[in-house]
Amino acid sequence: MRAGGEGSRERILARVARAAASRGRLSHPGALATPAGADPVAGFVKCFTSSGGEVVKADRGRPANEWLTDFLQALEPEVVGVAVGPEVPADLRPRLPDVAAAHAGAGISVAWGAVSESGSLILPSTGTRAVQLLPPVHVVWVPEGRVFARMEDALRELLDGLPAAVGLHSGPSKSADIGRTVVTGVHGPGRCMVVFI
Amino acid sequence: MIRDYAARSREIIRDEPGVREAVTGATIAFDEKRRKGYAEVDADAWRRWAEGVKNHTLTHLDHYLTEAEARLQANGAQVHWAADAAEAREIVIGLATRRAVASVVKGKSMVTEEIDLNPSLEAAGIEVIETDLGEYVLQLLEEPPSHILGPALHKSLRQVQDLFAERLNTAPDGDPDTLARAAREVLRNAFIDADMGITGANFLVAETGTVALIENEGNIRLTTSLPRVHVAVVGIEKLLPRMTDLAGFLQLTARAATGQPIGCFVSLIQGPAADPGDDGPEEVHVVLVDNGRTDVLAHEHAWEALRCVRCGACLNACPVYRQTGGHAYGHVYSGPIGSVLDPGLLGLHEAMPLPFASSLCGACQDACPVRIPIPELLLEWRKEAQDEGLTPWKERAALAGLASVATRPGLYRLAGRIGSRLGTTGAARALPMLGEWARDRALPKPSPRTFRQLWREGIE
Ligand code: SF4
Repeated sequence: MRAGGEGSRERILARVARAAASRGRLSHPGALATPAGADPVAGFVKCFTSSGGEVVKADRGRPANEWLTDFLQALEPEVVGVAVGPEVPADLRPRLPDVAAAHAGAGISVAWGAVSESGSLILPSTGTRAVQLLPPVHVVWVPEGRVFARMEDALRELLDGLPAAVGLHSGPSKSADIGRTVVTGVHGPGRCMVVFI
Repeated sequence: MIRDYAARSREIIRDEPGVREAVTGATIAFDEKRRKGYAEVDADAWRRWAEGVKNHTLTHLDHYLTEAEARLQANGAQVHWAADAAEAREIVIGLATRRAVASVVKGKSMVTEEIDLNPSLEAAGIEVIETDLGEYVLQLLEEPPSHILGPALHKSLRQVQDLFAERLNTAPDGDPDTLARAAREVLRNAFIDADMGITGANFLVAETGTVALIENEGNIRLTTSLPRVHVAVVGIEKLLPRMTDLAGFLQLTARAATGQPIGCFVSLIQGPAADPGDDGPEEVHVVLVDNGRTDVLAHEHAWEALRCVRCGACLNACPVYRQTGGHAYGHVYSGPIGSVLDPGLLGLHEAMPLPFASSLCGACQDACPVRIPIPELLLEWRKEAQDEGLTPWKERAALAGLASVATRPGLYRLAGRIGSRLGTTGAARALPMLGEWARDRALPKPSPRTFRQLWREGIE
């Protein structure tokens, strides 16, 4: 890096300050009041599924890990090996061999929360990012009580103990860059599935 | 060169008729989605709010830049300041060399195009791989992006089929799914091998030092997660005060760009991996770039263009942009926003005749999520250009001719009809304002069979 770096910082800040002072400093308009839907979970499901995400109902009469194992084995193509985030407790881990995320048929995570108005899952980097991104299928356990009505509410609560990175996933990986036809699973998971707990 | 705008537009319309068709179709589809996306919320209130937040931020930018810097450093990230493109390139190459980086994966970023980063990385012996699918196509073709959002939207399926058949060995009639899978395979390996990921940023939140990136493919999530070093190149106008502001901007930007409630993937990056389970990068660098932005900020009128969130909505709404796509403009920022921003970033003399490449129809301003008064700013630049005697009247008149014909389908039809009946000279006589445009070429060839139809769909 050249020695001018510090000089550039001072010069940029001085020029910015001069421009701001000559214009007058304008005030912040306050919060954007977006309406909060009555039923956050229903709102989430509607938004998430309309962008191609899937919401799966677990058979609550059975242990969750057993149900998930059968569910993954019934997928097309069948999931053989899985990559599971460190945040996933034992009773939510499928009984399938653990493999590296790059070779796994599915990644399993637990979301920190979800957002109703945008249909987004909140996935902190305290989980493993490769699990969230590399396998073709991403199955995410979402605690039902952690669906926030608005993005603003979720991000405000996230401020406490914000991790190095957070991913908001709001559907499968998509692109329309070739011939304006939508294709899924371009880079990230082609299927993103939510199971409420 | 921007100076060649008129000549290049003529060439594109004459020699690459597929471009107009592809760009018009794609932008009308985007514009339609944007309208739907706006209709689902109180878009006017959101846009006024966003304008207010950006105005506040831009008039307190010194404060927010230093706050963001302090937060990022506290989070373990390193912050660098670049006065111009050369300094920004030097910083990034310095970082790559220090870490013995052999290959770089990139997320789509306008600012790295602006500072012309790739050629200098390659000159330093570093392999650079664009990972956005559209950017990847263009990298294989050695072309610059032509649209903020769909960098390759001027390319037809046929062109990509031919390209991939030659370069990736796909079947000559491979469908988009097959083609995307072939690219995914190449790029997946690139992600795993790369030592450094380079991105831009949609926003930088001062309160938390958060670099925020919106996308649909997941390539940016991978670019910022897998390599051991992440470098975000960020224009100084990208600041937002707080996370609660970001909540609104993430949604408004997505609605303006594609009509989605939010991008399929958003990355919020505070710094290098810190937790034991986190497999993210060891180093995060943020390069804050001026490169003309403080000049724009100091300009009496143009400073408003710095509110731009690069959603592309004004390009999609613009009848003049639709004729040629972005390549005619000769600079990374094209379309309406390019025509008001480029004179500020590069100097008016360098950016001539872009302020004249518009009919001032106002569609851009109505689409803009941060309410940039683009037509007004164009008029201000025109006034300055005239005061400085910067452009011959003939060219001004010719560009005004193209713009008004492009904007008014009735006139366009008439010009097309007369043009085909009388040939170029006849058309030029019939519509004298087209004289310069019509020189040595036929009028913009209709294909209006679908074109008029598209107009009805796109413009009320
Ligand atoms: S000027 Fe407005 S509409 Fe155009 S890209 Fe910028 S924010 Fe979007």
